[in-house]
Amino acid sequence: MTLARKDTPGRARAEEAGRDIVVTGIGVISPLGIGREAFWKGLEEGRSGFKEISIFDTSEFSVHVGGEVSDFDPESYIGKKDLRILDRSTKLVTSAARLATDDAGLDISDDNTHYTGVSVGTTFGSLHSIAQFDLTGLREGPRFVNPSLFPNTVINSPASQVSIRFGIKGFNTTVSTGFCASLDAVIYAADFIRLKRAEAVLAGGVEELCEETFRGFHTLGFLSGADGSPPLCCPFDARRNGIILSEGAAILILESRAHALRRGATVLARISGYGNSFDPAGSTGRGLCKAIELALGEASLDPGEIDYISASANSTQKLDRMETEVLKKVFGRDAYTIPVSSIKSMVGETFSASGALSLSAAVGALNNGFLPPTVNYSERDPGCDLDYVPNEARQKEIRKALVISSDPYGSNTAVVIEKTRR
Amino acid sequence: MQRRHMKSRVVITGIGVVSSIGIGKDAFWNSLLEGKSGISPVESFDTSGHFTHMGGEVKLFRPEEFIPKERLKLMNRATQMALAATGLAMEDSALTPDVLSGARTAVSHGTTLGTVTTAEKVNDLLLAGEEIGYELFYQMPTHAASSMISREFGFTGPCFMFSTACAAGNYAIAYAYDLLRLGRADVVIAGASDPMSRLEYTGFNQFKAVAPEICQPFDKDRKGMMLAEGAGILVLESLENAERRGADIYAEILGYGLSCDARHMTTPSVEGIAECMRKALREAGITIEDVDYISAHGTGTRANDKNESAAIKAVFGRLTENIPVSSIKSMLGHTMGAASALEAIACTLAVKHDIIPPTINFETPDPECDIDCVPNRARKQAVNIALNNSYAFGGNNASLVLKKFTE
Repeated sequence: MTLARKDTPGRARAEEAGRDIVVTGIGVISPLGIGREAFWKGLEEGRSGFKEISIFDTSEFSVHVGGEVSDFDPESYIGKKDLRILDRSTKLVTSAARLATDDAGLDISDDNTHYTGVSVGTTFGSLHSIAQFDLTGLREGPRFVNPSLFPNTVINSPASQVSIRFGIKGFNTTVSTGFCASLDAVIYAADFIRLKRAEAVLAGGVEELCEETFRGFHTLGFLSGADGSPPLCCPFDARRNGIILSEGAAILILESRAHALRRGATVLARISGYGNSFDPAGSTGRGLCKAIELALGEASLDPGEIDYISASANSTQKLDRMETEVLKKVFGRDAYTIPVSSIKSMVGETFSASGALSLSAAVGALNNGFLPPTVNYSERDPGCDLDYVPNEARQKEIRKALVISSDPYGSNTAVVIEKTRR
Repeated sequence: MQRRHMKSRVVITGIGVVSSIGIGKDAFWNSLLEGKSGISPVESFDTSGHFTHMGGEVKLFRPEEFIPKERLKLMNRATQMALAATGLAMEDSALTPDVLSGARTAVSHGTTLGTVTTAEKVNDLLLAGEEIGYELFYQMPTHAASSMISREFGFTGPCFMFSTACAAGNYAIAYAYDLLRLGRADVVIAGASDPMSRLEYTGFNQFKAVAPEICQPFDKDRKGMMLAEGAGILVLESLENAERRGADIYAEILGYGLSCDARHMTTPSVEGIAECMRKALREAGITIEDVDYISAHGTGTRANDKNESAAIKAVFGRLTENIPVSSIKSMLGHTMGAASALEAIACTLAVKHDIIPPTINFETPDPECDIDCVPNRARKQAVNIALNNSYAFGGNNASLVLKKFTE
C-alpha cells in the first residue's frame, strides 16, 4: 500500500526549499548525560540513566529508583542571577536552551529577536512549585506565603524564563499535552516557521522529577517495582511491568533553511513531516496509525522508506504492545525489517520531555550512523516480535527516521526527520 | 495580501459560555450589555486568612446538567466547565454528530492552571493523612480539559492544550485559526477554562494585587484585579465548511500577533504589548484606522491598565481618543486562562450586533489611562473590526483580530 502522493500540498510547500525546517543545534540535560555529545555517546554505549533518587524523600513509596539528572550545575549554564528562586524545571530547560544556542552558534540580538521564538512542551512543569505554594498557605496561612515564588506556579514559567534570560521576543508558547507535549511543541514551532512568523525557534520539552509527579504515577500503578520487586525498564520485553520515572530537558533549534544558510549554520536534520490524531477511546492504536500516516503523507514518503523508528514504548504492557501493532498495520511486512527502538530503556519515562529527547536521539542516529538500542531486553514477548535493536547499538547509515509519541488520554503525534544537505 | 487568497478564511459559527454572569451565550451577552457584575463573596474555599474575600465564582453551574454523573468524578471543575461550554457551543453552531466528520475536528484549548483544584485536593488529603484515590491523579495532568473534550465528543483531529497563563484563550484560538488555514482541520473547538483557585487567590493577594470590593479597570482609584473562573468556547470553521453546511456565521478571524516581553515575569512591558498589537494588525492586513473596538486585558491592576493604555497610545497615536477600549473583567473578574476566550466571545458578539460592552464601576478618569473605556453603559456603535488583547505572566502576549463577516 503506498501512501506517498508526490503531488501533495506538503510536497509543493517543501519545494520552496528555503522554507524547509531544519535542526541546527541541540541541547540536552538528561539522566544519560549533559550536552548533545554526551547524550548521543550514552545512547550508543547503551548506558543506563537510573539511580537511587536523591532529590526528594522516597521512603513513603515502594519504589526508590528514577532517572534523576545528576552532576547538574545550573549556574554553569545560566549564571547565578535569581537562581535561588527558580524551580528545577526552569533550571533544566534554561540550561538546555543555553546548550542548544551554543551548539547552533545562535546569538540572540536586536536584529533577530523579533523573529525568534520559544516553544516548550511541559505538562507538570510547575506541579512541585504549585503543590508547595499551596501547602505553605495551608500550613502557615495564606499571608505567610512567599510572593516571589508565585510566578513559578504557572506552567509557562520555565519557557518564559528562557525568553527572559536569552532576550527572545518573537513569541513564547507552552504546550501541555502530556506524553506528546514536546513533539507537539516542535510541531507548533515548525508551523510558525512555515507560516513565516519566525525564522528560528527554540523548541523542545522539559519535565522534572518531583515527589508530586512520582506520587501520581505511583498511585496510578504506573511504576515498575511498586510491588517491591527491583524496578526494571525493559520496553517490548515480556517481563515489562511499568515505567521508571525520569526527568530531563531537550531543546532543538529549528530554523528555516534560508535563515540557517544565511548565517552559515550547520544543518543536522530536516523535519519533513508531522501529524497529530486523537483516539477518543484511549490508546487503541487508531490515532497513532493516523498520526504516522499524516506525517508520512506530508513528507511524501512510503512507509517502507523509513530507516529507523524511535518508539515511545515505556516498558508498560499496553503501550509497547499497541505500538508494535500500529507499526505492523502501517508498515505491513516492512515492520519486521525496519529497526525500532525505545531510548526510554536507557533514559526512562520523562513524560513531556520524552519526544524532544527521542527526536534528539534520532538526529544523533542520522548524523552518527548508529541505531540506539533497546536495552534490558532478554525475554521475548510473542506479541512484540519486531527488530527492537536489542541491547547493543548498531552501526547503520540511516537517512529517514520516524519519531512517535502516544498519550493515554488519547493524543498521538508523529514526526519524520531526514538527513539533508548541509 | 496574496497569501490570504491561498488559504481558507476562518469564521466563528458557535459560542458556548460558563460564566459568573450567565451560562450560555444569550445570558452572557445580555448580562454584558446590562453591565451586570458576577462578583460575590467567595464560597469554594475559606478566605478568612486572606486580605480579600470577593471573587467571580460561577455559582449557578450544575455540571450534572451537562455531564453524566458517573463520569463527573473523573473530572475536575475546569474540565466540567469546559465540557459544558463545548456542548453549548456545538448546539449553538448546529454541529450534530452526523454533520461532523470526526476525523477533521480538532480541539485547541487553553488554561492557566486548570488542574490546580486537583492539586489542592491532594494537599488537603495529604495534610489530613487520608488516602488519595487514583481518580484525583487521573485528572491531574494539565491537558485533562482538552483531552476530555475530544474524548466526550469523539473528535479525532489534533488536540492541543496551551498553558500560557492569562493569555491562553487567545493562544488556543490563534492556533485553531492556524490549523484551519494549514488545512489540518475543518472544524476546531477553540477556547479556554479555569477554576476558582485558592492557590491563585493566595498568590495574587500576596502580590497585593486584588481589589477588596469591586474591579475598576482604568479608574484612577482602581485597587486591583478580582479572581474568577469560567469557560469560553468558540466553534471555528473554514468558510467553505460553514457555507457548505449552511451554518450561521458570527464573525471572521483575520489574524493575530504574539510577542514576548522577555523582561519580567509579572509586569507587562509597554514595548512588548505594543509590538504584539502591531504584529496582529500586520498579519490581519489592516491598519490602525481600521480598528473600531479594543477588548482590553484590563485587569484593574495599577500596572496593567497604565501600561496597556500607554501601549495603545503608542500604537494608535491620536486615533486612540476615537477607539472605545473596554474591559469586561470589570464584570467577570479575571477568569485567568478563560479570560481571553470569553473576551473573544464578547468581541464576536460586538461585531455581530454593533454594540460594545462597557467597563463598569468607572467613577474617576485616570490621566495615565487616557482612553475611552466605555464607562458603565454599553454603547451602540458600528463595529467592523475588534482587537482582543491579553497579557500573561512570563510576558506572553497575544492579540487577536476579529471582523464583521461579509461574503
